[in-house]
Amino acid sequence: MRRAGAGVLALASLAVLPAGAGVRAAAPAPALEVVATSTDLKALVEAVGGDRVRVDSLAAPLHDPHAIEVKPAQLARLKTAALLVRVGLDHEPWLRRALLTLGASAPGGARDLDLSRSVALLQTETPRLRADVAAHVHGFGNPHYWLDPENARPMTAAIAAALAGLAPAERAHFAARRDRFLERLDAGLARWHGALARHRSARLVTMHDAWTYFAARFGLLIAATVEPTPGVPPSPAALGGLVERMRATHVRVLVAEPYADPSLVRSVAARSGARAVTLVPSVGGAPEAGDYLALFDVNVARLAAALDAAP
Amino acid sequence: MIDLLALPFLACLVLTGIHAYLGLHVLARGVIFVDLALAQVAALGLTVALLAGHPPASGAAYGYALAFAIAGGLLFAVTRVRRAPIPQEAIIGIVYAVSAALTVLVVDRAPQGAERIKQLLVGSILTVTGGDVATLAALYAAVGVAHWLARGPLLAISLGGDQTGGRRVLVWDALFYASFALVVTSSVQLAGVLLVFAYLVVPAAIAVLLVRGVGARLALGWLVGAVVSAAGLAASYAWDLPTGATVVAAFGVALASAAAALGARASVIAVRAHGLAALRPAAMALAGLVSLMGLALALFPALDHLWLDALERVAPEVQEAFLTPSERAVRRETLESLARGEAQLREMRALQQDVQWGTRTLDAERQERLRQFLAGRGELTAGDRLVLRTLRSKARERQRYWIGVPLALAGAGGALVLARRRR
Repeated sequence: MRRAGAGVLALASLAVLPAGAGVRAAAPAPALEVVATSTDLKALVEAVGGDRVRVDSLAAPLHDPHAIEVKPAQLARLKTAALLVRVGLDHEPWLRRALLTLGASAPGGARDLDLSRSVALLQTETPRLRADVAAHVHGFGNPHYWLDPENARPMTAAIAAALAGLAPAERAHFAARRDRFLERLDAGLARWHGALARHRSARLVTMHDAWTYFAARFGLLIAATVEPTPGVPPSPAALGGLVERMRATHVRVLVAEPYADPSLVRSVAARSGARAVTLVPSVGGAPEAGDYLALFDVNVARLAAALDAAP
Repeated sequence: MIDLLALPFLACLVLTGIHAYLGLHVLARGVIFVDLALAQVAALGLTVALLAGHPPASGAAYGYALAFAIAGGLLFAVTRVRRAPIPQEAIIGIVYAVSAALTVLVVDRAPQGAERIKQLLVGSILTVTGGDVATLAALYAAVGVAHWLARGPLLAISLGGDQTGGRRVLVWDALFYASFALVVTSSVQLAGVLLVFAYLVVPAAIAVLLVRGVGARLALGWLVGAVVSAAGLAASYAWDLPTGATVVAAFGVALASAAAALGARASVIAVRAHGLAALRPAAMALAGLVSLMGLALALFPALDHLWLDALERVAPEVQEAFLTPSERAVRRETLESLARGEAQLREMRALQQDVQWGTRTLDAERQERLRQFLAGRGELTAGDRLVLRTLRSKARERQRYWIGVPLALAGAGGALVLARRRR
């Protein structure tokens, strides 16, 4: 029975493969099929690859990246992808199983690009004790490194190198596109630093532990996190102590993600007197945050407005 | 503490008021999981609302959730009267599973839906506002008045088991399930699925265990709900635990205590009637358990033996007796070093927090040194814990013969003696 099943599968894949190859040969300039695990990485790959790549993101913008259920069509795309681009660390625990399922045809080696290897990570101390775990739940360092725009330099460098490895003829094209992207990034950085310059060393409280890189880049200080373990609401004592300290030290802004528990955000803001501002952690999380640079335009504008308005 | 927990406690009282009463109905009808099924259907409605583009905390989202839940409730009313060859509990389970699956399918299309569903499960009883509580109290007062006016037929159908069917019962059932759906949808938005289920079932169950008569049961249910809510909230504050989950656990403890008290009373009565012989089955079970624990220790000393860990925590001699003098010295040193290290970690962590909040200042280099010290000290503490674990496993290797084997034999012997005496 099992052998018969395997036979059917083999037949099916035989039937599929030539058809797929035919389509590819017929296309005039075959675009590289890239699978990214998040919309942020998708945006960066598109910035470098332009029309020479077709990128698909496994996670939707505001989905919890830890809890993705991979769908059959995505598995199929992963199998035929020329390149897999991922956040790495322990950000995509479901990916290992998906790749195991694909077996030998899973993207590996030069086809598997882990961008966490190209940036300097923060919060890499091993959380040994319960009290340490409270500060951050990530075992290998904080994985939200795409929220520091400076990290786009090494990330796009790694992407350009990987794409050039797969399509050597396009190397100059990718390099030129990356240079153009970096020019726009530099202009953006000047803009963003300008908008937040007045608020250097301002203290923020964040709902989740996602803004470490962002704050470090713009000289903001994160005093505490409301929900150290996402999805586990804080205890009354922790909440009371937090609100008291926020009032005592005049923390003016509370940073929330779009998916943060609205009643918790409302309650912390009301009791502490801080102003709640919703920042978008991923490209596409808000309609106006359509690409990587727009993501920072949106977040910087919202944060600067909140810091300006707060007393 | 009072200012933080006053509103949550009021919310708990409002929940107790309506749910303890509905719980009596639900227990009598034997449709315990109707609550979870309706909550799941309401969650499905909520995700559909998200998909339609409504923000999660809006009136439209509530309307969707309510419409879905009432439709589910009416389905339960119809299926009860039809007297289908499958029990109603099966239909309730199917509705639960299918609507949960549909929720997953819809969530996949609606961004942030997954987070909402998680939040719906846990709830946010700690962060209710005065407006929330007032709205809920007014709504439930209205539902309560409606049930009071219709108490005759509703209680007759629930308690009397009026299985005759017919149009009249269908109408009352429809009213019951519709109001139930309204209550569940509103409560779940505020308190989360788990907490609402606990409020529905546990006070009513304790009341049914202890007293007779609808009025007495309702009064006791309200009392139990209020007392357990207060205890759960206080425990959540004192031990620094998430509030909703703590209150649910407190309800579990309350039911277990009530059951244990009933069991103790039954055995006292039995001992009075038949002498100590009445306790023999319990004693046999206890001896059997002791024997199994000893056997497990003798056969697999490397497993977790929680009872032995607890015993050693109270009386460290139980472990130290099985260590060589030098091992004992290492253990004491490590314990001291661990205590010192943890005190230091606490102090330094407090300093780091003060720096983060800006109430104390350190220059950048000293901040970095503090961070490195904390990381290093954390590793050392972890090393100390590893030493203690190694010593414990050494002791276990010896305890397996000196404690495990005797316990296994004594327990088995005791059980055999008790069994033989019965004949």
